[in-house]
Amino acid sequence: MEWLIFGFLSTWAVLSVMGVLFLKNPVHALLSFVSLILSVAGMFIHLGAELLAGLQLIIYAVAIVVFYVLVITTIPWEKVKRFEGFYKREFFLGFPVLLLSFALFSYAILNGKLAMVNLEVKDNVKEVGKSLFTTYLFPLEVASVILLTAMIGAILLGRKEE
Amino acid sequence: MSIEKAYILISIFLFLSGLFGVIIRKNLITLLISTELMLNGVNLALVSVDRAVGGIEGQVFALFILAVAASEVAVGLGLIVALFRLKGYEGSSEITHLRE
Repeated sequence: MEWLIFGFLSTWAVLSVMGVLFLKNPVHALLSFVSLILSVAGMFIHLGAELLAGLQLIIYAVAIVVFYVLVITTIPWEKVKRFEGFYKREFFLGFPVLLLSFALFSYAILNGKLAMVNLEVKDNVKEVGKSLFTTYLFPLEVASVILLTAMIGAILLGRKEE
Repeated sequence: MSIEKAYILISIFLFLSGLFGVIIRKNLITLLISTELMLNGVNLALVSVDRAVGGIEGQVFALFILAVAASEVAVGLGLIVALFRLKGYEGSSEITHLRE
């Protein structure tokens, strides 16, 4: 049963990655990116990370994708038409290198051993939330400062030049 | 082969295809979508190692990666819009000022 779910989710993810890489229209690529986000959220649920799956849906599939769609609507369509698709020469040069690196990585993973600690975690959301606000409180504050800085930077970049 | 290792293989596939998309795509917006693919691959690797080890630290780290991804999208799309408005550029092959 576990492998059945894995096969379904991974096939879905691989198909949507192909859509992101090779579809011509940017809007179609964005839609297959949404499909990829949904499959990755399913993988998170399968791996027992429910809080992260929910946040993935909220942050990626709602906030980030809506932002992309807004930016696509601001750009005139005939300008986008000139630059759709992918570079052929870079495709044929880059594909063997990435295939070789994937083979090396998968060899290392299949023959290596993961560390075995085996701490049992029962309630995922409770545990993650507790450690976020006790052990990792300072990184959480730093993350909020990063978000504030990004907001100010986006406003400065997006304003009209005088 | 355990299921965690299979998920790590999928995450490496996601990361490398994001890198491939950054190399080959022409449009700047699709290039940014490919960077999101890379970030998703890293998140998936962290969560699956977390399940193999049995802790929660990887999930906390993946949460911070989500925050960084949100801010990266805000700044990157702001840069793309500013580049389009000031220069009219929309493809990655048009930005050649530093090369010339």
